[in-house]
Amino acid sequence: MSLRVLLVEDDRGLRVTLRDALTVEGYKVYTATSLQEGMLLLSNVKAEGGDADEAGVDLILLDLGLPDGSGEAILAAVRKRHSIPVVVISARQGDGLKIDLLDQGADDYLVKPFSIGELLARMRVALRHRGTYLKAAVTLYESDGLTIDLVGRQVIQDGVTVHLTPTEFQLLARLARSAGQVVTHRQLLNDVWGAEFVEHTHYLRLYMAQLRGKLEADPAEPQRLLTELGVGYRLIEAAR
Amino acid sequence: MIWLDPKVDLANLALVLILGSAVATLWLPAAISVAASAASVFVFNWMFVSPRGHLNVEVHQDALLLISLLLVTWIIAALMAVQRATSDRAREHARQAEQLRDFGEALRDSPDPLDHAELLQQALSDLARGDIMILIVKAEMPQADDIEAALLLGRPGSDQLEGLWHCVRTGKPLGPGTGRYSALPDWYFPMRGREATLGAALVGRGLTRLNSEGSVQAGLRSQAQALCDQFGLAMERAMTARAAARARDLAQTQNVRNAMLAAISHDYRTPLATIMGAASSLAEQGARLDDERRERLARTIMEESTQLSRLTDNMLQLARLYAPGMRLVLDWESAEEVVGAILRRVRRHDPQRRVRAILEPGLPLARCDALLLSQMLDNLVDNALKYSGPSLPVEITVRRQNANIVFAVSDRGMGVHPDWRERIFEAFQRGVAAQAPDAVPADARAAQRGAGVGLTVCRAIARAHGGELSYQPREGGGSIFEFRLPEVEPPLVARESARSGVP
Repeated sequence: MSLRVLLVEDDRGLRVTLRDALTVEGYKVYTATSLQEGMLLLSNVKAEGGDADEAGVDLILLDLGLPDGSGEAILAAVRKRHSIPVVVISARQGDGLKIDLLDQGADDYLVKPFSIGELLARMRVALRHRGTYLKAAVTLYESDGLTIDLVGRQVIQDGVTVHLTPTEFQLLARLARSAGQVVTHRQLLNDVWGAEFVEHTHYLRLYMAQLRGKLEADPAEPQRLLTELGVGYRLIEAAR
Repeated sequence: MIWLDPKVDLANLALVLILGSAVATLWLPAAISVAASAASVFVFNWMFVSPRGHLNVEVHQDALLLISLLLVTWIIAALMAVQRATSDRAREHARQAEQLRDFGEALRDSPDPLDHAELLQQALSDLARGDIMILIVKAEMPQADDIEAALLLGRPGSDQLEGLWHCVRTGKPLGPGTGRYSALPDWYFPMRGREATLGAALVGRGLTRLNSEGSVQAGLRSQAQALCDQFGLAMERAMTARAAARARDLAQTQNVRNAMLAAISHDYRTPLATIMGAASSLAEQGARLDDERRERLARTIMEESTQLSRLTDNMLQLARLYAPGMRLVLDWESAEEVVGAILRRVRRHDPQRRVRAILEPGLPLARCDALLLSQMLDNLVDNALKYSGPSLPVEITVRRQNANIVFAVSDRGMGVHPDWRERIFEAFQRGVAAQAPDAVPADARAAQRGAGVGLTVCRAIARAHGGELSYQPREGGGSIFEFRLPEVEPPLVARESARSGVP
């Protein structure tokens, strides 16, 4: 059975282009032009599916600039019941709403204009993480010579154990659990240091620099621990 | 004196009496000390001048003594009174001068004197303990007496309100002793600027020191007027400053708008024409093109779209940066991370890895807006790649110098003609280059073309951060664009002990 995608996008040109491109990749695409239509489709498609508790779609692509409001409503409705991945499409780089949505549980974001290749990569990662809200967390991360054993609290790079401080490890582990996805500053600070540290971005800068110093060949041009400026960090997708 | 009586003669006793009354006048008010000295002279007569116990005087000499005694003590009392009044006045003047100075300083430190209307009220109530009410015209003088157009402190009655408005409109003080409407129960003082009267203050009579007579009252009145005028001048200054800022904003908005129109009419057309050509070729000749050509056309569309996207970002950013009240999203950013993110983006168009990053170790965190900084570096690197030969290196360096974090992008291109080293930052100069191409050297034209508003945005970003972006020719050929960002001391981070590591 092909994977089902709900595309909420009000611009006709982009909607048609994305639908065609995704269809070629083998996705079944439902399109909506407004929040309202999107919500409606979400509940109707669900009715078609056999299992009542099962969500009707496997992934939602959500544009932020919709005619009848922000995407927050859909995200809230979706997050209340399901773990369907939500990828946000945003028109502007410095869009505060985008970060809010990520903090509220959106899986990833793309800034317009983007290429189909980028979109497909983000969708792949989001789909792989599908269900992590319900399922047991990731326990092992492996990619390009780097192994992170989240249970044994061990990090091995090219066969050599890397010594990390407890905070460094927690930070890396948090990124590894969402590997391939962007994790916002706020989420990282909250999960690693605690709720009272969410404004202390300078802690993140320092510890990310330390981690890069230990895990990157050239910390000035990182290949694993990527920076999403103004948003957060992303550990590259694990090799399958 | 009774004790001294048997020991000294009458003349010396009289001297002691004079001493006593002189000392008393130091503290007693003039009238009381005059009365007291008269009384003491009578008592002296009664007790010490023969015949004792009688007011009669036996010897003429003693009569002369008593009269002199009386006159001398009176003269002392009068002198003391005059002296005391003079020093009181001097003290009052000093106090008033100090009050004016304090008030003036408070006003000078504030961008909007309206915030300090209460201060004026306070200062006036120091002078007089009656009701103080203040009416200040906010911006423009209304046609009718419209209370909406004014700031009002206190609760004046309708007569009082009318008096305040009248005072504002005439710019002259009213009330007792001012020569205008002397029958009014209150005083009204206008707040006069150089050109207009911008408000008025009412000082209620009540239990005021202004009730005191004559010169003292006139002094207090002129002090109240001085305070009001000082306030009026400050208001006028603030209004002039606001008007100037508005005019500046307007001119800037106009400039930005012109730059944008120029950019849209020029910079957008080239990539759009390329996209149009490639896309229509794909649509109309698609079947007849081989795979390689089709892919090349598609790639052209992608590249030109990227260029258009950058242009749009710059244009939006320019409008945002020049908009009044723009605020940066400042955070603690790592130069290494920002440069790393730029490199990652650049590599897509830089397969030969021409761009190199050199970062001084131990750089402090930068207080900046990461997205803006990256937009600036992105523009600079893009320009450097475009305007230097296809195999020449481009360097991003970050170093510390004189309490600045210096971001520099350097290339080995042809550099910028000396005449154009400042003008390349001015989007508004583009029109000149476009209209009179012969007047502009070819290399400058090249640097201008395509850069669009890019360098203007870069400089606007630099300045929004309190820094500066400047051009320098590079030794051995090429350009260096340097952004100096003032260092800010970052907050401390509680370090964990290195010992407790993960094994």
